[in-house]
Amino acid sequence: MPAFRNIRLCGKDCLCLYVCPTGATDTENSIIDVDKCIECMACVKACISGAISMIPNKYPTQQAKAEDVVAAQFLLASNKLKQQQLADAVTNSTESDIEKQFAQAIARSCRLMAEDVLREAGYLLPQSQQARKLLEAVQQEASEDFPHQAVELLLSNL
Amino acid sequence: MQKYRCSICGFVYDEARGIPDRDVAPGTLWADIAEDFACPICRAAKRMFQPVQDSQTLWQPTQATQPAQPAESTQVTQPAQPAESISAKPESTTLPNHRELSAAEISAVFSNLAKGCEKQRKLAEMDAFNQLADYFWQKAKDESDANLSDIQSLLDTDISSGLPTARTAAEAEADRGALRSLVWSEKVSLVMKSLLDLYAADGEAMLRDTKVFVCEICGYIHIGNSAPELCPVCKVPSFKITEVERS
Repeated sequence: MPAFRNIRLCGKDCLCLYVCPTGATDTENSIIDVDKCIECMACVKACISGAISMIPNKYPTQQAKAEDVVAAQFLLASNKLKQQQLADAVTNSTESDIEKQFAQAIARSCRLMAEDVLREAGYLLPQSQQARKLLEAVQQEASEDFPHQAVELLLSNL
Repeated sequence: MQKYRCSICGFVYDEARGIPDRDVAPGTLWADIAEDFACPICRAAKRMFQPVQDSQTLWQPTQATQPAQPAESTQVTQPAQPAESISAKPESTTLPNHRELSAAEISAVFSNLAKGCEKQRKLAEMDAFNQLADYFWQKAKDESDANLSDIQSLLDTDISSGLPTARTAAEAEADRGALRSLVWSEKVSLVMKSLLDLYAADGEAMLRDTKVFVCEICGYIHIGNSAPELCPVCKVPSFKITEVERS
């Protein structure tokens, strides 16, 4: 469970530097060095800005999702994705820079809604069984340009 | 003096205060406001406003002098569910059949899992999920022509049936996570619809002298000269509301 600094909250008071026994908090890019962090939490307790927290290593089993909820969420998300595709098509074909800008905003918005709705259809956590099953299912992809290494990395790391 | 709330984004028009920024003087009655009035936050039409029944003011615009009020009480927020709550059933093994998911759906699941990895600071895993998301999005690509009215008709389906159906299912199962996503999607969809309606009526004039922003968290589209201090839908601060630039 390594410490993580939220740079947006960091007030540069540097108490984390004073208390860190391994120098993990003292980096040129402000990102705490996870290889040096011994998870002692001294920096979390010392920071007056509340800018440091511990990232969990383990997550609980996810809440089960009811079948009709999943089905309805997928139906909605699927329609949002079709709208994203249509907006992409408008973006690529329109001559007007204003219409293009508007279509890009719509595409982005539709994508975000679809992602969020699917997240709540049982795909909240990368480490969940549902995510693993999906990765195993797509591993069957035979196409040459399929990024097999990406799936292998995820199945072994998560 | 009465108050009226935008049913889309929650902005409250207070007759006592008016909107001095928009040349609506304090004391201006709702009935005297022009019919082409648009919500200063989300541009919803005047008819989308409803009188505020209770004395509780749910949300105030960020350009007003008062600080933003807490999120409305009826809004379902992200649940902080206990790890091993009594109602927690084991993860379902029956759903869904991944062979039946479309390439577009798989892409969106993966790009969202990439965001989950980013939040956990697992950057190699984030990249891997994004690679997969890109691969499936390419597979899903549809080269056919389209115009904005095609989007409008699909969006109407969401508003008339997709969202209410999902909401009924989520309510029946008391699935707060799903309900939260649907509350946000519904608001974002209604704002998008009112913008598409406006665009269909006014054309490019609607956007010519203004900027366009999208909230990275919920997808809310904001038309204005700057991003709102807080997203009116999901309440995230402005640094997560990004501009869509004109090329």
